[in-house]
Amino acid sequence: MIAAAAREGRVVAALGRRALSVQFRRAQLLMPTFVLPLMLLAVIASGTSAAQGLRGFPDIASYLAFVLPGTIIQGALLAGLTSGTALAADVEFGFFDRLLAAPVRRTSLVIGRQAGTLGLSALQTVFFLAIAYAFGARYPGGVGGMLATVGLAAITAVGIGGIAGAIALRTGSLSLLQSIFPFVFVLLFTAPAFFPRELLVPALRDASVYNPLTYVVEAVRGLLAGDAALGDPWLGLAAATGLAVATTVLATLALRERLRTL
Amino acid sequence: MPAPDHRAPAVEVQLLTREFKGGIRAVDGLDLEIAPGEIYGFLGPNGAGKTTSVRILTTLLRPTAGVARVAGHDVVHDADAVRRSIGVALQEAAIDPLMTGRELLRMQGALHGLRGPAARERAGELLERVGLTQAADRRVGGYSGGMRRRLDLALALVHRPQVLFLDEPTTGLDPTSRGALWREVRALNDEGTTVFLTTQYLEEAEQLADRVGIIAAGRLVAEGTPDALKARVGEPMLHVELAEPDSAERARTALSGLGAVELADPGAPTRVVLRTAAGKGAIAPVIRALDEHDVVVESVEVETPTLDDVFAAVTGSHLEGAHGRAGEPEAAGAPG
Repeated sequence: MIAAAAREGRVVAALGRRALSVQFRRAQLLMPTFVLPLMLLAVIASGTSAAQGLRGFPDIASYLAFVLPGTIIQGALLAGLTSGTALAADVEFGFFDRLLAAPVRRTSLVIGRQAGTLGLSALQTVFFLAIAYAFGARYPGGVGGMLATVGLAAITAVGIGGIAGAIALRTGSLSLLQSIFPFVFVLLFTAPAFFPRELLVPALRDASVYNPLTYVVEAVRGLLAGDAALGDPWLGLAAATGLAVATTVLATLALRERLRTL
Repeated sequence: MPAPDHRAPAVEVQLLTREFKGGIRAVDGLDLEIAPGEIYGFLGPNGAGKTTSVRILTTLLRPTAGVARVAGHDVVHDADAVRRSIGVALQEAAIDPLMTGRELLRMQGALHGLRGPAARERAGELLERVGLTQAADRRVGGYSGGMRRRLDLALALVHRPQVLFLDEPTTGLDPTSRGALWREVRALNDEGTTVFLTTQYLEEAEQLADRVGIIAAGRLVAEGTPDALKARVGEPMLHVELAEPDSAERARTALSGLGAVELADPGAPTRVVLRTAAGKGAIAPVIRALDEHDVVVESVEVETPTLDDVFAAVTGSHLEGAHGRAGEPEAAGAPG
């Protein structure tokens, strides 16, 4: 049993390595995941910085550091989506058949893909933290806060990757996955990604309660600032982990359904 | 899981059926059996059910009805064991163009349980075997069609499978690449690998297969060795072109002991036709016999039935891309 588990672990590692390395060779997908969030960050950080003067805005040292968690979570969303897109391409162009014809557990095919997503998001978050630091963001939460942020973002990316993967496996349609990209922003803006929850309009504030990304963004904010009043890290971890587990199961079920109905 | 019976057929199919939405039966009651160590050619036109059959046997598709066993394992109930026993090179070479050949082989090794060093070593061996060592670290997107097919074959061999499935492996390849792939398939078979090969190329089936199964509309319509199948539709014919029109009767007399002789066209008495099971082997005796009767020969052509003739005899239509007329004459030239 241990040998079997070790074997499947090597399979997951091989698939994760492949998913990650190939992602860096797809320039058309790399740009959105690494550059687009930073462009939005630049616009928001410079264009809306007066918001920190609003009543009810938390007392913060750096507006850039305040809005950075929104960028990090946006990046995680995009990482998860591009992972799903890559899976849809594998299904549509036949590479997935090669994996299905191998003697590996079906769940390992899903988990391997998720492992690649985890790695991509981790690298992406480190990149965002470094760029923001270069532009003056500071992280009172220290190395611990940054590492926890990287982990939380990566788990969130796995959660989104699970949804995208489930769609990819049910439909096998690359174009459908690509058309979902704009809806990512709906998820992001119904969470307090760039503004405190208290300052959102009532409708958005109510909606944000049901959005797991709300708790993740706030947790990242609290971790980087070293201030749990800005966001409970454990609540964020619970939300991200719950999302990741639920959607990975969803993707696995989608794969089983696909194989059953083939 | 019971151990496989090594005396069992390499592939065993009984009443295999696959129905798609709309009631389309791509495979309709297929029965066949392939012995270990055989090269079995599965010949048929596009849409006959070849690829669907392969996908069922390689566990990529479930049958609607019937039973299929590969290397002694049921494809539905013991799919993992089947996957461990088979190598698969599909029609559309399913290769990620962004990976290098070496990366793909190492990944495939990991999928089949090879640890890092073993996977690396096996990748090196296979790259050398299929002649891709120089291109090993280039992305597959830059490979030619022939290189991709060779890599696909190498990927199918990573774990030394008992049964190798090749789905139209030489489609789109130039003659040189095709010949190289055929040589490799024969070499693998010499090492004991059973090969299940689907093709729509008559020559490929004739050159490679020990036995050929002809499929049409999802059913096996004929099966046997290439020679046995062709013998079912007629004997080879030798067309002898005579230099002198008035030597036809002497030619008929000279050749009467070698087989059935007739004038090709009573209105054109310079050609006689000899039917003989010996085929090309009868050329020398024909020349000698005619020479003994002072008959001067312009040329001798051999016309043999083809598998397309077999297909036409059992289905009433020809294979796509096959020659429309029966046989493929080969000119032997006039004797010096």
